[in-house]
Amino acid sequence: MRAATVCALMFALSPLVIASADYESTMGLVQKIFYYHMPSAWMFLVSGLVCGVASVRFLITGDARHDRTAWAAAEMAVIFGLVTIVTGPLWARKAWGTFWIWDARTTSSLVQWMVAWAYLILRKYGGPGSEKLAAGLALFGTANVAFIYVSVNYWRTIHPPTSVVPKLPFTMGFPLWYCVAAFTLLFIVLLKLRVRLEEQRATLDSLYLSMDEQG
Amino acid sequence: MAVVTRTIAAFFLTVLCATALLGAAQAPPAPGQPPPRQSEYTPIDQLPPQDQLPAAPLLIAAYSFVLMVFFLYVLSLARRLTNVQRDVDRLGATLKQSKS
Repeated sequence: MRAATVCALMFALSPLVIASADYESTMGLVQKIFYYHMPSAWMFLVSGLVCGVASVRFLITGDARHDRTAWAAAEMAVIFGLVTIVTGPLWARKAWGTFWIWDARTTSSLVQWMVAWAYLILRKYGGPGSEKLAAGLALFGTANVAFIYVSVNYWRTIHPPTSVVPKLPFTMGFPLWYCVAAFTLLFIVLLKLRVRLEEQRATLDSLYLSMDEQG
Repeated sequence: MAVVTRTIAAFFLTVLCATALLGAAQAPPAPGQPPPRQSEYTPIDQLPPQDQLPAAPLLIAAYSFVLMVFFLYVLSLARRLTNVQRDVDRLGATLKQSKS
């Protein structure tokens, strides 16, 4: 509850922090989409990693707790991915003159988002045993995370390279790291809530089983 | 099962349509090419409407969309949690009654 309050306060103050950031010389006002776009993109990648790691642990140990974490992380990937995939083109329309280009980063991000959707559809409609199939799918998504991150350094694209962030001046770096902290906190709060939902569903299933046993 | 098939078909149809729309978007100018030399200066309000692209609406749209997505997701999560908790409480009470 305390983390959720801090997170809400950080988001409430974020417009002030972002407004204090310097304008970028060539893109001007529209570049300020960056302060929500990039943290959500990072959380999108983190969701993919968490989903993959939890899936590996589930496949090795068979512990349902890891499966619940993987399922929750896949839903986070869909939400943060949606934010990334919508805010990026709004920025690109002004900065690049087009909503979308099929470069390595945008294409692989779209693939990653569809993998997260596929994971959720498989869990919802796959029936018994779908958790192991979904875990395998999550591994594919995790491999794609690394590809998305380094794609801008190895392939020809108009996305800026990863070296842009470390070189940011303080007036632009502070708002960015502030938003990264807010989005990280939001990710943790939402993930915990989503895991709790799966735990409650597991409790509900065990209660139904108890009722069946009692006849 | 028919509902599942229809849902999955609708999802992939949506993705295909979105992909086709995105693909139809205009390609950006090749990087590295210098912009054409200007022979005259034109005030922005004299440009045709499709060439006047103010940043503020895009910025407002982006921030509004982000806040709306998270607000709706939190609402959906709260609703699902409440429903499951209510079912757990109801079944727990039923089990207790049947034991006693």
